[in-house]
Amino acid sequence: MVFHLDKCIGCHTCSVACKNVWTDREGTDYMWWNNVETKPGTGFPTKWEDQESYKGGWKTDGEKLELRSTSKKKIIPNIFHNPSQPSLDDYYEPWTYNYDELFNAPEGDDQPVARPISMITGEPMEIEAGPNWDDDLGGSEVYAANDPNLDVLSDEQQQQMKAIERMVMFYLPRICNHCLNPSCVAACPSGAMYKRGEDGIVLINQDRCRAWRSCISACPYKKTYYNWSTGKSEKCILCFPRLEAGEAPACFHSCVGRIRYLGNVLYDADRIKEAALRPDDELVEAQRDTILDPHDPAVIAAAQASGIPDGVIESAQKSPVYRFAKEWKLGLPLHVEYRTFPMLFYVPPLLPVMSISDGDIVRSDVDELFAEVEKARAPIEYLGKLFSAGNVGKVRYALRKQLAVRIWRRHVTVGDVAEEMAKKALAEADCTPEQADEIYRLSALATWDDRFVIPPFQREMAMEMMTDPHEHRASAGFGSREEPRRS
Amino acid sequence: MFGYAQCRHEGNSSVKKSSILELLLIPALLTGMPGSINAQDAPSEETISFFKLNCMSCHTIGGGRLTGPDLKGAIERADEAWLVDFILDPKGVIDGGDPYAVELLRESRGVYMTKVPGIDRARAEKLVKLIISESLKERSQFAGLEISDRPLTDADIGRGRELFMGATQYENGAPACLSCHTVSGIGGLGGGRLGPDLTNAYDRLEGRKAVSAWLGAPPSLVMQPVFKDHPLDGEEVLALVAYLKSVAESEVGVAPVSTLKFVLSGFAGSAFLLLLLDFLWRRRYRATRRPMVRNRHHAAMGSKS
Repeated sequence: MVFHLDKCIGCHTCSVACKNVWTDREGTDYMWWNNVETKPGTGFPTKWEDQESYKGGWKTDGEKLELRSTSKKKIIPNIFHNPSQPSLDDYYEPWTYNYDELFNAPEGDDQPVARPISMITGEPMEIEAGPNWDDDLGGSEVYAANDPNLDVLSDEQQQQMKAIERMVMFYLPRICNHCLNPSCVAACPSGAMYKRGEDGIVLINQDRCRAWRSCISACPYKKTYYNWSTGKSEKCILCFPRLEAGEAPACFHSCVGRIRYLGNVLYDADRIKEAALRPDDELVEAQRDTILDPHDPAVIAAAQASGIPDGVIESAQKSPVYRFAKEWKLGLPLHVEYRTFPMLFYVPPLLPVMSISDGDIVRSDVDELFAEVEKARAPIEYLGKLFSAGNVGKVRYALRKQLAVRIWRRHVTVGDVAEEMAKKALAEADCTPEQADEIYRLSALATWDDRFVIPPFQREMAMEMMTDPHEHRASAGFGSREEPRRS
Repeated sequence: MFGYAQCRHEGNSSVKKSSILELLLIPALLTGMPGSINAQDAPSEETISFFKLNCMSCHTIGGGRLTGPDLKGAIERADEAWLVDFILDPKGVIDGGDPYAVELLRESRGVYMTKVPGIDRARAEKLVKLIISESLKERSQFAGLEISDRPLTDADIGRGRELFMGATQYENGAPACLSCHTVSGIGGLGGGRLGPDLTNAYDRLEGRKAVSAWLGAPPSLVMQPVFKDHPLDGEEVLALVAYLKSVAESEVGVAPVSTLKFVLSGFAGSAFLLLLLDFLWRRRYRATRRPMVRNRHHAAMGSKS
């Protein structure tokens, strides 16, 4: 998966599409499998990036990889209460309004109002927070000011970010990252969580979930949620029923800005552990190293030997994810320092200085329009903290390449930039004119088929890879699966 | 020296004795005594053990009265039908105003005979027959526990206390008295509250013999099934008697732990436990958003003033 942040307009269509399809049931009302956050901001649930409180993800001393949330020693003393979980208030108390009173109020002197009603208690409530409470920097002196990622900035930079006319924000749509090294799966004591073999989707088996909620603590992105009505945890399923029918997931499909790309990659699972032990600033590269070149004959042969269908290899070759994340090095994982190796790559937002107010005149000269990335409004250290575990070089590379592509396209389409200068910019950004055109095409013109390369799902074959159906022949009959609910 | 266990041992061998019993019964038949029985009516082993379990803690046959009267010759004081009716429903007969029953109640200092669990007419008739046949014997097997009547020593009291508190285990694995009973002077939280306070049990039962009989085969609904398979031996009974006697004789007014104190110490204990847990888990996660908002407001107000 790739999200191109430069294209996100923060419309929340993805969130609404997901909510309507999946989390419109009792007990799931507070969940947002897909949500869009404003950065800087504290996100949903509040300050989910603060792993000092929430203890998500992995930690390492360079030799061993351990969950931050639990360990053999911590399990017994915390057996009755899995600690470090967001409270309902850190998400928000879901509510609706009693619209009936609005529409059916008797005639009177006052304007009828619809009061907010808690969807948990059914009683009237005071709204204190919501899933996008700090949307578009709302309440920023509390919320944006407490963004854990601001730590890396100097006081001066922080002040600049808050100053009127210098203020900067961008949107960060988030879904489950379907990580390569998922800490939620590792933490589940019931063995209810698994990463699907054929497409890497991380799922919770609703029959086996025993409501320990260890996944909720362990997931550093706080993308597993506890359904208080069924007593089971739930999470983004990447709309696998849609994928299996060749459709894009609802949030991908509905994305207005067409920022979302979906495709499969071939990776070397044996390299994951070693990669996860590397120091923070090498993690982006280490994760990229686990992703294999699907055009490499050796890789293809190895994939075929492992029983990966040709159709899946072919779609890996066409995958936009491979191009953004590995080939062009534009896609960066969110908070790779949690060492779960998220498989959702973000193209960092360019946020260039678009115009300069100079006294009464507003200028947007070419020189300034394509200013150095260091002059971009969002401090590069801040983006580095989000997308490359502090390794600013990775972000700078992605931003400069995007900038070079713009300069190149300006040369091609408008022509007010000299070819020499445009080529120089490309060369400096480790890009060729051909690659620049490709990047431009996939970023700006991509069609449905370009953006979503869904491998042909061969569920039956995939099942046979894991288990021999004949083993269960004549041993299992029809039965009713248990409905997930409290007994 | 001869404990209850020995009595039981004799009971187990009663089948062998039945032939002797028959011989003894022949003169009874010849003399035409009431309650005549023949060989077919010889009391079964089952009836004998029933008697031991249910009757012996209050009655002897030829061993003198305990809580209830000595049953030797009971048939001379009341007829068979009356006895059966009385066994079936003692309280009913007494409350019905039967003069002899009322007199028995008075003699027993107001202690009603309990209705034996599982009693029915057939069983009651068998019991009466057993009483009659045993009354004829020189020395009935139900003459009472042969608990030594040597003087009780301080060592007995000490051992009794240990047994009561559970510091020493009973030979046959019976549970310690403390688990259900309390007495004064055991300090702390006292003993269990399921059974009655035994501080004055020695006085209530009026002495050594009755207490011994009770302990030999506890007849109460709760104790009987527990002690049926784990009887106390004679020495243990003696030690407990000594201890209960010493408790009863100790200064009056040392009340067992009061209920109020017990409840209050429970509250104090839970409060301590909660504080301890709160301390141990002091670094647990509490909340994020509310403190964040609150702190911000505090900071803002602080800077304005």
